[in-house]
Amino acid sequence: MSALTPVLARAEALLQTNRPQEALAELATLPPAEAVGVPATRLRCAALAQMDRWEAVVHAATAGLAASGPDPDLLRHLGRAEHRCGRSQVAERALLDGLALAPQDVELLCTYADVCAANGQADKAAKLVERAAALAPEAPIVYATRIQVAYASGDDKGAQRMSREFVAAYPEHPTAHALLGGTSAVRGQVDTAYEGYRQAAASMPTEQAFAESALELRIARHPLMLPLRPALRFGVLKTWAVAAALIFGLRAIGQPVLSAIVGLLWLVYCVYSWVVPPLLRRFLRRNWH
Amino acid sequence: MQDELFNPTIREQPAPGKPPWRPESIFYPAFFGGPLAAAALGVLNGGRLALPTPQLAAIGAAGLVGFGARLAIAASVDGNAPVRYGAMIAGILVSLVVLAFQRKPFRAYTYRGGEPASLVGPGIAAAIGFGVLEAILILALVR
Repeated sequence: MSALTPVLARAEALLQTNRPQEALAELATLPPAEAVGVPATRLRCAALAQMDRWEAVVHAATAGLAASGPDPDLLRHLGRAEHRCGRSQVAERALLDGLALAPQDVELLCTYADVCAANGQADKAAKLVERAAALAPEAPIVYATRIQVAYASGDDKGAQRMSREFVAAYPEHPTAHALLGGTSAVRGQVDTAYEGYRQAAASMPTEQAFAESALELRIARHPLMLPLRPALRFGVLKTWAVAAALIFGLRAIGQPVLSAIVGLLWLVYCVYSWVVPPLLRRFLRRNWH
Repeated sequence: MQDELFNPTIREQPAPGKPPWRPESIFYPAFFGGPLAAAALGVLNGGRLALPTPQLAAIGAAGLVGFGARLAIAASVDGNAPVRYGAMIAGILVSLVVLAFQRKPFRAYTYRGGEPASLVGPGIAAAIGFGVLEAILILALVR
């Protein structure tokens, strides 16, 4: 592969530090002939994707493909963007066209796995990501996609375990920390979740989503949220099952007063869990900003 | 040879309608309102998650079976407590059926970035409405 020109190299470096607008400005200085080439179009698509401008990614990738012919990387960008625009069937077509050109492209396999998982096809997604893992077991995108597919399958415990492995393999990778934060949050482990997002935000301060999630979890760690931790940790079903067993168990063994007290406390707890989090969120956000 | 993993399998998602409720949240109105409340909310939520018709029918059938069990309890025992507890237990069981069908589709929905709708209003309405309906039917049919 030919070396990147200085402009493209600068744009790529800017993308790696999550500065897509500056990367686009850099790409805008290219002469017209180079601007429509595959390397420039790939970087433009990546920059627009970082800004969540998915329709613009579709436009850029389509123009690049029209100008330069089929390219697996541009087809991957096109597939991902079409999926984000809600056109999953079109996305699949683009990704399969890409895989027809490069069946062992790890990023294409993982992107297709992501699209399948989002469309309720977690089993197929798992097979795709395992194929990618056979080709590049230590690639960050393989770790990340495995975790996302596990989450989509409802395997929260497995997703969190894989996130820990991802962090162990790539202790400096912001996505690894963010995924550990996300998977821990799903399991109600707010301290681990906060730490994950805090480290992700520290590693990549330009990524607003990491900072926003860290802020949400800072709210979840507030002392007033402490009583709700068991419900977050064990889930609604288990918490309710314990409460109901206690209330009706006490009544069954001839302790109606105690049962009524526990029932009343449970009712207060339910109202607390319903009312306090939104009020606290509103109050803290107003004071922290 | 054609690689079967590379066969197209994705169907276009229906245009986004009302966002679904979190299936776990149906547990609350099921506990207070009984099996019919759980089934009604489960069927509505299944429609929002675009579940196939047989699964919606299974949820509806579970609700009817749960209510039938409650009727049988009311017909065979004296006193109100067993009938009340029967409603709670049947409601919980139906909500578990709902969860079994809806957990994965709801995960796929959140994986796509979808946000769940609030069940507070519909949940309270279903718990009260179907709770009263079940009580009236039990009184009319077996008491």
